[in-house]
Amino acid sequence: MSAAAFETLKALIVEDNAHMRMLLRELLGAAGIRDIFEAPNGAAAIALLRERKCDLVLCDLAMEPMDGIALTRHLRTHENSPNPFVPIIMVSGHTGKQRVEEARDAGVTEFLAKPVTARNLYARIAGIVERPRAFVRAETYFGPDRRRKVIESYAGPWRRHDDFKDIGVK
Amino acid sequence: MTKSKAQMIPPDAYPQMLDADEVGRFSEKLRCAATEAKAAAVIEKNAAGLREAVLAYAEALERAGDIAAISAAAHEIKGFADTAGLPATARIAEGLCRYLEDSETHAVPPDAALVALYVRALGRSARDSGRETRTSSTVAEELAALAARKLQDAAKSA
Repeated sequence: MSAAAFETLKALIVEDNAHMRMLLRELLGAAGIRDIFEAPNGAAAIALLRERKCDLVLCDLAMEPMDGIALTRHLRTHENSPNPFVPIIMVSGHTGKQRVEEARDAGVTEFLAKPVTARNLYARIAGIVERPRAFVRAETYFGPDRRRKVIESYAGPWRRHDDFKDIGVK
Repeated sequence: MTKSKAQMIPPDAYPQMLDADEVGRFSEKLRCAATEAKAAAVIEKNAAGLREAVLAYAEALERAGDIAAISAAAHEIKGFADTAGLPATARIAEGLCRYLEDSETHAVPPDAALVALYVRALGRSARDSGRETRTSSTVAEELAALAARKLQDAAKSA
């Protein structure tokens, strides 16, 4: 019997702790993902991504010499990025507002707070495949649309603060 | 000068992880009982390794020479301990992380004695691997209460 398409997905785990890498690898394996690569930091991940195509990246935030924020920025915006649209799930114990916003503004697709649970990890992956988000290319940002909230009652075209400045509304 | 508008790239204009007709199969796999059972076994199998990691981070915490290093190790313990089966250790670490973040938010230097208490409690709790007692939970609660009082006092004297 031929393998399901999801069994041919390729995932990259970027995490500096070998025990956590193993846990994430085996959790992805339990969900049927077989081709899994590992890197201990952002710089090693970039080197690996030059050689291998990956469909999904799970990355830690705090790593040396290159952390997950810098890796995300590189993947989203560097001219030699192998795939600027690759889904990136940041998996981190640093869940303070500032770090989460930094991750969002670097262009992560999802943020998964440690402690990791299978349910939360799979929910993030399911969200990515079931409800893919539009990408935004702006002067200072490239990545998934950061607006999650849809205001059903609003049908107008203007949604950003700057839009009102642009049309002369104070 | 008017800023240029952002360009929206809809999902059908860039490559997706899976074709639309494969999404349902994968979603089903992610949510099925067999996957859940395998994942539970994976977590159980990896708990011992994660406890080793918690212990290593607790040692790094004890060696840490400044608040940045303490904060980094505490966040790692917070992230690992619960999955390692050390929920009380996770709660103590969460308390320390919150105290350090709140201190930063309120521009108050963290109280060195309280931080030292947290570090000692985390070391003890991490080494008590698998034998977490009600004492660890009580310690987590009491340290959190002490941290809240320290922040209140600092706010009053500011």
